[in-house]
Amino acid sequence: MWSKRKEDELPQRPERAVGAPAHSPAPVEPLRRETNTMSSPTRNFDPEPGSVRSGSAALGKNVTVKGQIFAREDLTIDGEVEGTVECHEHRLTIGPNARVQAGLKAREIIIQGSIQGNVDATDKIDIKKEAKLVGDIKTSRIVIEDGAYFKGSIDISKPNAAKPAPQPAPSVSSSQPLSQPPLSTPTPVTAGSVK
Amino acid sequence: MPHSASLLHLMRFGATTGAPTKPSPKDAPPTLTRHSSGFDQFCGFLRSTEGLSILDMSGASQANITFITSLGHRISSDDIVGTMQQCFGADFLDNQQAASNAQRFIEQTLTFPDESFDGALVWDALQFLVSPVLEDTVEQLLRVMRPGGMILLFFNADEKATRTPVYNYRIQDQKTLLQTPRGGYQRSQHFNNRTLERLFERAASVKFFLTRDHLREMIVRR
Repeated sequence: MWSKRKEDELPQRPERAVGAPAHSPAPVEPLRRETNTMSSPTRNFDPEPGSVRSGSAALGKNVTVKGQIFAREDLTIDGEVEGTVECHEHRLTIGPNARVQAGLKAREIIIQGSIQGNVDATDKIDIKKEAKLVGDIKTSRIVIEDGAYFKGSIDISKPNAAKPAPQPAPSVSSSQPLSQPPLSTPTPVTAGSVK
Repeated sequence: MPHSASLLHLMRFGATTGAPTKPSPKDAPPTLTRHSSGFDQFCGFLRSTEGLSILDMSGASQANITFITSLGHRISSDDIVGTMQQCFGADFLDNQQAASNAQRFIEQTLTFPDESFDGALVWDALQFLVSPVLEDTVEQLLRVMRPGGMILLFFNADEKATRTPVYNYRIQDQKTLLQTPRGGYQRSQHFNNRTLERLFERAASVKFFLTRDHLREMIVRR
């Protein structure tokens, strides 16, 4: 770490150039010897351990995005998007001013604007009366208000139907050694004792 | 609405299982419920198997989507009357005579691949079309149906009616439909059975249902 000589510790007014980056070094504090930490506060963008970053992101009506959008929080789009938008396990809201030419994937999707593209929501799709959607829908539930314009197909996938039927316990032949014991209630099996 | 006017309206546009559900302003069609034998037969087809692909040409509605998907089928929506309003404006019959309007309508209607659907609910939309748009639309309709597919259609059978109310059709249950008005009245073509048989001569079969009112129901098998 820094070790300062006394003559260097005289207070000095920092000369900060115009347009200097925000992370330029802060002025040195006089008459103090810092050994473990820097005197100036450091901007830390990493969340503190154990904390949860909550809230939602938004693209305003004057924002245009061409490309892929991946979000790990709720997202509201009120501008123009061309490409794909994925917002797994979160809510995606297409605002009334939005014009989207993209495939959309989210847990829940609320549509108030205009979409041209396929829409896939694991939980629910809510199409408001001022919405315009041209594309195919895949979801568990759908709510559509009178007055909404929709052209395309709707596939309702029930979440319970996806669970597979319980498999019978496999039989083990004496010629096949067990590679790994089961994790729950292990029952000791010896080779040759099971038919 | 005066009593005599409501009676005249019922006589002209058909009696239904129930009286108009709400009072309407002058010259606006009332909301009606109707018992439909044609739709009842269509539902028998829906219940015969799962996983069908059904086209609803009355535009997207919660009632129809819920009914069809609850039976395990896939539903597609296309608002053909909305496309007519967009392409033909205030007067469907007159404005579709212009080739540019007709072309635009055909390009926007039934834009699905060949043999996409097992069933189609066309409702009464075709009565607002005339030649050649009518024949072109029927050709597109038969193109998107799979062999054996079933189409449900309604036509106003009152020869004296010069204007027909434009309705959305909402499914209440297997036998009951809710007709909700949209956009007032339009001039429509009158069809008799022979005309309709010729219109669908490429279909495998055509079946008509007798009704008490002035709406002719038919089922066409591709």
